Amino acid sequence: MKIERKIILSNAVNLGLILLIGVFALQNLNRVLTKLRFVEIADDLNASFLEMRLSEKNYILFHDEATLTDMQAQISRTRQTIDSARQDIVRAVGEDNLSMLIGQIEKYSNTIHDVQASGGQDVALKLRLRMHGKELKEFSESLVRIERARVNDIIASSKRVLFYSFWVLFLLAILVSHFISQRILLSLRAIERLTRSIAEGKFHRIEGPVDDDEVGSVTTAINSMSDELKSREEELIQSKKLASLGILTAGVAHELTNPLNNISMIAQNYLELYDNLDREKRLEFMQQVDDETKRIGEIVRNLLDFSRPKDADLQSADINETIRKALQIMQNSLHLANIDSKLSLDPLPPVRFDVHQILQVLVNLILNATQAMQPGGTLSITTTVAKDGKTVRIYVRDTGSGIPPEFIPHIFDPFFSTKGVGGTGLGLSVSYGIIKNHGGAIRAESTVGRGTTFIIELPVYGKEET
Amino acid sequence: MKHSIMVIDDEKIVGDMARLSLEQDGFEVETFLSGEPALARLQHKRFDVVVTDLKMRGIDGMEVLRTVRSLYPETKVIMITAFANLDTAIEALRGDVHDFFPKPIKIRELKASIRRAIGADVAAT
Repeated sequence: MKIERKIILSNAVNLGLILLIGVFALQNLNRVLTKLRFVEIADDLNASFLEMRLSEKNYILFHDEATLTDMQAQISRTRQTIDSARQDIVRAVGEDNLSMLIGQIEKYSNTIHDVQASGGQDVALKLRLRMHGKELKEFSESLVRIERARVNDIIASSKRVLFYSFWVLFLLAILVSHFISQRILLSLRAIERLTRSIAEGKFHRIEGPVDDDEVGSVTTAINSMSDELKSREEELIQSKKLASLGILTAGVAHELTNPLNNISMIAQNYLELYDNLDREKRLEFMQQVDDETKRIGEIVRNLLDFSRPKDADLQSADINETIRKALQIMQNSLHLANIDSKLSLDPLPPVRFDVHQILQVLVNLILNATQAMQPGGTLSITTTVAKDGKTVRIYVRDTGSGIPPEFIPHIFDPFFSTKGVGGTGLGLSVSYGIIKNHGGAIRAESTVGRGTTFIIELPVYGKEET
Repeated sequence: MKHSIMVIDDEKIVGDMARLSLEQDGFEVETFLSGEPALARLQHKRFDVVVTDLKMRGIDGMEVLRTVRSLYPETKVIMITAFANLDTAIEALRGDVHDFFPKPIKIRELKASIRRAIGADVAAT
């Protein structure tokens, strides 16, 4: 069900409950009003009955015949009052109670009549008059008492019902909104996790059943976006592979052409000028041919390293130790180039790596840094553990000429070189391959004129991401 | 008077071999490993022919060509390159070079081209 419909439904249920409670409260209020109206009438009647009883008392004490006439007049007024308020009284106390009351009044009236007829001489009649008067008054008073108690009951039960209704509505509202927001929040969190992993280049999907609501539509959309990105990335990787094949071919041609040309020119001169060349020159020529052949061999070897990265022989070892070793190997070059070196190595958790390959990467980076710097420059190597404890970071920083921003995206491409002669343009791409093989990452940050920092990240053993 | 040839290539052997062969033929040869010192030298001396590599770090062959054109319009420029594809050839020809040699260079052809550049009637020696 759509979330919108769920909200509408829950609102409708709440509204229904509120209406029900309203009707109930209104009904109770009407009942109270009816009872109060009766109590009002009954109070009037009671006052009349009290007067009758006073007259009755006066008659018994002073035998004044006129008081009996007064009483009859009062009774007929009371009858009129009852008749005019008959509807209200029936509604409040019911037909039975009313006819009992009227019966009592009738009896009292008849007794007054009998007393008048007897001329006031019959003592038994007088006693009956008093008894009936008392009964009438008591009955009427008890009716009022009962009705007052009922009014109180109705008010108390209304209060109770309203109180419980409030809590039921309150809890219902909290439960419904909690349920709906929880549903949205859970999905949002799943979407947030997915987008974060997409940003990291991992194109997962949100697993589990997809609900038929607004959040479900978003989930479906995000999933299909992830799928699309995944297939696009695969296409991109494929086209990049083709592109690097092109670069590779062009690079190989260029790299091999130079030493081949050198050998060819030496050979041409050797053949042409053989008689004019002294022994030393001939030996020098052949030495040069040999050197150029080695250069070709080196290019081919690097190319093989690049095209067929050897499986890394992963072993748990100390990165810091490998860094010291790399620096030791390069010490002489650094000294000759008049470059200072600084080490700042944090204690590191265990990392599994191929010592020889990582050494190759580090030597390569140190060599690059040395070549990028003028005499007096500083090479600094720093190691730290990433905040999440999952990766070890190696920073190789130089104070050299820096890499122009437009070159940064290409520095790991095969045969990309800014060094001119002496750089095969394979060092960084081979390094890139090695670090990728270790499940790590390598990137460069550079400011022209201030220097370059290469950052290598390697996964800590036991915390590798799958 | 000897004809003067400037050879610019970041491969040292190219300059050395060109010099050896050209000096045998009686040319005066100066070699440079990059564009910068070559342009500095051109400020002080006119050469009959400039042989330059196209792709070099820093000042490249095209810039050498432009400088030579502006300083000495009569000096001929011969371009050499390891990139033997058509694009660089078209680019070089548009820049009005005397000749274009992809590596590996045939020294004999290079010398013939230099002689043509100086003028068929002029003796090399």
